Parts: sequence; C-alpha cells; structure tokens
Amino acid sequence: MFEWLLNPMFQQMILEGVLLTIEITLFGVLLGLGVGTLLAIGDIYGNKPVKAAIAVYVEFFRGGPLFVQIFLAVYTLPTLLNLQIDHAILAFLVFGLNSAGYQKGYIKSSMEAILGDQMQAGLSVGLSKAQTVRSVILPQAYRIVIPSWTNEFCSLTKSTAVLSYVGLMDLVGAGRSILFRNMEILPVWIVVAIIYLAWITGFSKMMDIIYEKKKIPGIELSA
Amino acid sequence: MGKQKKEEDRVVRKMAEYVMEAKHVYKSYGKPKVKKGEISLDTKLVVEAVRDVSLQIRKGDIKLVFGPSGSGKSTLLRCLAMLDIPDKGQIYLGDEELTKSGVDLNKARARIGFVFQHIYLFRHLTALGNVELALRKVLKLPKEEARKRALDALTEVKVSDCVSKYPSQMSGGQAQRVGIARALARNPDIILLDEPTSALDPELTGEVIDTLRDLAKEGTTMLIVSHEMPFAREVAEEMIFYDEGRILETGPPSQFFNAPNTDRAKKFMDRIIKRTTRE
Repeated sequence: MFEWLLNPMFQQMILEGVLLTIEITLFGVLLGLGVGTLLAIGDIYGNKPVKAAIAVYVEFFRGGPLFVQIFLAVYTLPTLLNLQIDHAILAFLVFGLNSAGYQKGYIKSSMEAILGDQMQAGLSVGLSKAQTVRSVILPQAYRIVIPSWTNEFCSLTKSTAVLSYVGLMDLVGAGRSILFRNMEILPVWIVVAIIYLAWITGFSKMMDIIYEKKKIPGIELSA
Repeated sequence: MGKQKKEEDRVVRKMAEYVMEAKHVYKSYGKPKVKKGEISLDTKLVVEAVRDVSLQIRKGDIKLVFGPSGSGKSTLLRCLAMLDIPDKGQIYLGDEELTKSGVDLNKARARIGFVFQHIYLFRHLTALGNVELALRKVLKLPKEEARKRALDALTEVKVSDCVSKYPSQMSGGQAQRVGIARALARNPDIILLDEPTSALDPELTGEVIDTLRDLAKEGTTMLIVSHEMPFAREVAEEMIFYDEGRILETGPPSQFFNAPNTDRAKKFMDRIIKRTTRE
C-alpha cells in the first residue's frame, strides 16, 4: 500500500511539494504581516480616502476566492503588463496580499485594544505618533496577535492546495501527480495529510513557545 | 515706529518671564457616541471643559488646581501639554507659542513632564524601560547615559528596587512614582500632574505625596491637580479653584483654608475638610 514511498521519484516530488508549500506560506504570511500592519495603521490614522481604499482592498482579497486571485495573477497579469514573471513569485505575492487582508483585522483590533492610554503616554514624553506606534503600540499589539496569527498561518498553509491549479507543484499537486501514476488514492492522501499535520502542529507549537517566551506580565488577550 | 518696536520687545521679554502661560484658552468637546461601532462626537451634547482660562507659571512655582470632578481640570492640563488642542486661545512654553500652527509639538511635549491620573506606564517595558524610552528616542542620548539618567530618576523617587519590574508587577504607588520618574528624567521645564494620587489607596497616596514633597523642596516647577489638602497647604504657593470650566478664585492656601472669597469655593472647602477630618 505504501511501497511507492520508497520510489526515489515520488520521494523527490513530495519533498519539492513540501518545500514549495513551506516557502510560499512562510513568505506569504510574513508579507501579509508587513502589509497587514501598514493597512491597520492606515485604517486607524488615515483620512477618508485612505480608509475607503483599504476597505476595498480588504473586501477584494477577503471576499473573492483565493483560487480566482491566483488564477488572475498567474494568467492575466503577465499578459496585461506584458512581462514574464515567475509563477511562484506571483503566487507568493497573491498569498501575501490575500493574507494581509485577514491580518489587517487581527492587528487593527489588537492595536485598538491598547491604543487609548498608550498613545497618550507616548505623546506625553515627546514621542511622535509614528514613534509611539513603532516603539509602544506595535510591540504590544504583535504579542497579543500571535495566537490569531498562528491560525492564519495554518489556514494559509492548507490554501496552498490551489497552487496546483496554476501548474505549481505544492504538496497537494505532488500528491495528485503521484496518484495519477500509481492509483493508490487513499494512501497518497493519507501521506499528504500526515505531512500537513506534522508541519502545522510543529509550527503551532513553535509559535506557542514564542508566545510564552515573549509574554510580558500584564499583556495578554484575557487581561 | 520706534516706539512700537520697543513695545513688542517688552511683550516678548514679558512672556519669557513665565515657564508656562495660558491666555484665554477655550476647549469644548461633544459627548462620545457609538454608532455602528464607530465612535464619533455628538455635537449636540457639547461640554465646555475650559472657558476663557488664563494662568501663568513662573520657574519654581508650585500651583495646585482643585475643584469638583467633571469641572474640566484634566482637560485644562491636557490642553497645557497640547495633548488636547485648544479650540481658542494661546499656550506659551517659555516664549514659544505652542498654539501657533507649524510648531513641532513633539519637541514641545518633550520639555513638559506629564503625570496621569491612571498612571499609563508603557505596559511592555520595565520601570527602567519606561524612563529610558524617551531619553533614547526623543533626547537621542547614548545608551549608557540614558540608562544612568533613568536610574538616577528612579532612585530619586525611591523605586530603584522596581527597576526590572513590569508595570503589572508593581503596586499602584510604585507605578505612579515610576510615572513621575518618567516625567522627571528629561529635566522638563515644568511637570503637570493630573490627580496623581486619586487612583491610589490612602497608604500608597502617602508614598507619592512624599515624592512630590521632595520634588517641591528641589524647586521643581509643578502644576498639580489634587485634592490632598494638607499637602496643598504645605507646598503650594497658589491654589486655583476651578469650576465649570473656569477659574473661580485664586489665592494662597491660607485664603482658602481661612476665608475663601467665593461662595462656591467656601462650600467646596467645607465639604473637603469635613471629609478629611472624618477619615
């Protein structure tokens, strides 16, 4: 049932699939964190046009199917721009920008939870608004956001399955092309599921450890 | 022509006499209302927290503002520190007008110490971090010097045992003294204190009052909102009775403790003194 796992070609396909999935989620979630933070700051401090633009952005990425976004990016964008862009890079950008739409919400609500008095305190010692956001608000908001961020990471990891529709061999893509060859449908998906499970569990545990390590007495979600 | 120039010179020199001066300051705000999760101001329910307030503070002055809660004392203090921008009127810090457009308010606020009623320490930083932050980021002091000055300030307010504690690990009195150290460490021209003891229980109030007494002895310029009457009597050169957004009466403590001029102040003093003696 699982003897195909010994086949070096299949091993190679799975390994490459795992690497692509990990790369795209890790970079995507980090890009999402950066862009999501900027969106959150813009949504809190921006003027009306900025807020409206951010609302459109968020609704676009959160409301539309990820698959369609990837599809548009990979097949339409290069033609429109008349450019040759690597599919993996486009996919990574879409993942990051899509994730930013979700992460903006988490970061904004964490920031708002601490904003009132901490902004006052920052201004009162002579820090500018931007300095206060950087040195006071974000270090606290990021600590609070870690658990929701871990959730976002898990869901993004599994979303990489859509990559196979645009010809990128992520873990699901690798699984599918293996089972086209050996027809071991259930065993292949079991292996794919176990790899996802192991990676996500491991990563979540790591984030739990970081959360505990970085925790400061008095700054918790439940506080 | 020449006379006019002279006139102007005199005005400039007169302003610099004061560390801080407020001229005919007004500030009102609508009551916040929440609609669809957005907080906005209800312009129909306007609260006039500061109405035509003028005051002057000289170097070394200790003035105490008191009056009923909700009368706008905090708003006045926040306006002086430009944490709230006045609707009308001028605020001067030394000879610089802060209410003029184009003034670097961050730079100005760096010269004003502010102590909050609810303390507002930076929650993610230790006591040392709380004091150091502005020294590093605002005054741009080198690391070593910032640390030394922060430690000095914490020692001055007698919380050197809390240096590496986070705000949630301190008692209210310790936290408020760290708050005072944070305001003090930059050597501000003036320290504004907004009811620094009203969120503390009586025992902790004593610690903070002792600290303020030490600062008073060193000649620190302070404007304090407080109802700690024994303390006021001891350190304040002038007391300011504030009610419904206005300064109703000013005078030395003896005036208020013996015979306030206004009825309103008299009633208020009676009530406070009754309460204090009951305690």
